[in-house]
Amino acid sequence: MIKVEGLKKQYKEAVVLDVESLEIPKSECFGLVGNNGAGKTTLFRIMLDLVRASAGKVTIEGNDVSKTEDWKSRVGAYLDEHMLLSYLTPDEYFETLRKIYRLSEADLKLHLENFKELFNDEILGKKKYIRDLSKGNLKKVGIAAAMMGHPEAVLLDEPFENLDPSSQNRLKKLILQSKENSKVTFLISSHDLNHVTEICDRIVLLEKGKVIKDLNEKSLMSEELNTYFGV
Amino acid sequence: MGLLPWLLLAIFRTKITFNYLLTLIQSIMVVELIRLELLKSIRSTSFAKSALVAVFLAFLALLLLSYLVFFGIFLKAIIEKGFESTDAYATLSGVMVYFFLFEFMYRYFVQKLPVIELERFLHLPIKKSNIMHFLLGRSFVSPLTLIAPLLFTPFAIQEIAPRFGSGAAWSWLFCIFFTSWSLHWLMLWFKQKFEDSLIGIGVVFALLLIGAGSTYYGWYNLGSLVKPIFDWSLASPLPVVVMGLIFLVTYWLAYTYYYSNAYLEDLTEEENVRFINQDLGIFSRFGLAGELANLEWKLIIRHKKSRTYLMLAGFFLLYGLIFYTNPVYKSETGFSHMFVFVGSFITGIFMLQYGQLFLSWNSANFDFFLQKRTGIEALVKGKYLLFVVTSCLCLLASVPYAYFGWDILLIHLVTFLFNMGVIMHLVIYLSLWKPKPMDINKGAMFNYEGVGIAQFLMIIPMIGAPYIIYLPFALLVNQYAGLLALGIVGVVGILAFPYLSKISIDKVLQNRYEISSSFRQEL
Repeated sequence: MIKVEGLKKQYKEAVVLDVESLEIPKSECFGLVGNNGAGKTTLFRIMLDLVRASAGKVTIEGNDVSKTEDWKSRVGAYLDEHMLLSYLTPDEYFETLRKIYRLSEADLKLHLENFKELFNDEILGKKKYIRDLSKGNLKKVGIAAAMMGHPEAVLLDEPFENLDPSSQNRLKKLILQSKENSKVTFLISSHDLNHVTEICDRIVLLEKGKVIKDLNEKSLMSEELNTYFGV
Repeated sequence: MGLLPWLLLAIFRTKITFNYLLTLIQSIMVVELIRLELLKSIRSTSFAKSALVAVFLAFLALLLLSYLVFFGIFLKAIIEKGFESTDAYATLSGVMVYFFLFEFMYRYFVQKLPVIELERFLHLPIKKSNIMHFLLGRSFVSPLTLIAPLLFTPFAIQEIAPRFGSGAAWSWLFCIFFTSWSLHWLMLWFKQKFEDSLIGIGVVFALLLIGAGSTYYGWYNLGSLVKPIFDWSLASPLPVVVMGLIFLVTYWLAYTYYYSNAYLEDLTEEENVRFINQDLGIFSRFGLAGELANLEWKLIIRHKKSRTYLMLAGFFLLYGLIFYTNPVYKSETGFSHMFVFVGSFITGIFMLQYGQLFLSWNSANFDFFLQKRTGIEALVKGKYLLFVVTSCLCLLASVPYAYFGWDILLIHLVTFLFNMGVIMHLVIYLSLWKPKPMDINKGAMFNYEGVGIAQFLMIIPMIGAPYIIYLPFALLVNQYAGLLALGIVGVVGILAFPYLSKISIDKVLQNRYEISSSFRQEL
């Protein structure tokens, strides 16, 4: 589904990302781990065509992301607050997205129904702008928005950060569910090794912009990662 | 037996050295705070990183201050010649109270509150009282503090010192300084407590009424009621002492208010959702672009900076009254050429002002639009739509100017067409030259965040473009031919809208990486 070829990102002399090749098949749950500054967010941003690659390219189902735009309606993402319209209330925001994705009102209702547990009655129907929500609730809005409009792939940057333990579990359940039911491909970066190893089929370890480990075997994942991170 | 006094002395001594150390540490702290403050202003985005803009602003500030000094130097002459007064001192002291009323007004609109800084210091192990004294003291370092000294010192030297002696001059001057500076502290307290509330606006209006009641209606003469205080200050130091005390009391008022409210929740209020569901219905007919125009409208009414722009646009609608009623611009045949400028200004004011910072308004959520299919195209088109609608509203609102002659209605119509066909594209195209991020929750007054050199230079083509078309025809044929030419060019521009708007859209798409990374403040 997503293919990375000879990708490089350079700021003047400093190489921040250097990925020879990477292929993410459909309906895989792809985990991305690495220390701070390893290039996880940069990789996601290039995949979404928010940052220009210095060399190489990313293709989604054969389309170069920097040359075409059609893939955008099939890929959802939440990286940071820049992707939200923080001056709207959550309800208005979802309504706006509904119009952009051309969904029916019933579709939207159905979609939000899935998030009922995660939202925990703190998001919808409140007279509060998104910019005034707590960090955890902000993240919940972003994730629900990223999964809207039946995307084939969803990119999430640190989705578990700032969530309370029960919300973390609910989110894991949600991700596994939509992977099971709708064959959604997930790309998830996280520092929480327990959560990624639990839900991801494959984990790639980045160090200084390079892929140094590509782990597929579920039983060996946590041991290898624990030795690398020294925990 | 001699042990006890010695012990007491030792305790006393250590306490002294301890206290001494503490004050030493705190004075170092203040130096550090001042250093941080300097760094902040040098590195801030509202300082507009471009050096050229900084130089221009510094030049402007110097120019204004030197005007003040000149005005101060010629104040005596102005009063004696302009008002045909034989006693310049009495005249000035008689109107002094209006100066202070006026000062209250401009301080209310211009003076900034120091609380925004609080957040960054509150968690540090510095005494709260020190932070407060520092922040209040910092707010005092401002051009506003200088206005009274610059204006009145020359007058005191020229007029009061020769007539009443230098002691009287000093006393009179400081009486005025302390009054002006007391207003500074009073305003800090007043604005923090009442800004954005009905009471605040009420007080400001009441003061306006008091001033107007005295001058226009002559119910009472406010000036002569207050004048004895200044007269008294010539003979006795008592008024200065009293004003000095008031200065200290108002400082104390501001200090205690800020000190007891030094919690984030008290000082930075969360905005309630006041404007829910206020879609502009017309937009919904235009598909995705219409949807985004609607979003933009919400953005405008939900942020402080854009709300101020909107209010200014309403205010500038009255701009025509200055020109259309002015006999200088009356001519026997036809109308003044100046009116073309006035017309294009009135019918396009919101577009001109808001459009300057075209993409910067969306700098906090530009990635949202980038990540949606055809999001950028819809964003730009949505803004076009918004500009068209607001300009139409301005045109409609300006129809009553027809009272000053049908010519003016015609001018407004023609300049409106020209604005829509040409100026709109020009503004948008120019504003795409290195857009900068900005925080739209801050106020608009004296806030140069997001403003680059392009925004300053933009005004030249905005004023020039209509005249390039209009003047040749107006001078060679006649004025109506000039208007006709303007109108035709405008209509052609409107018909070419799809092509012209595509130029801007393509430019955004081409520069999308640079724009988005600068908005994420990565550069």
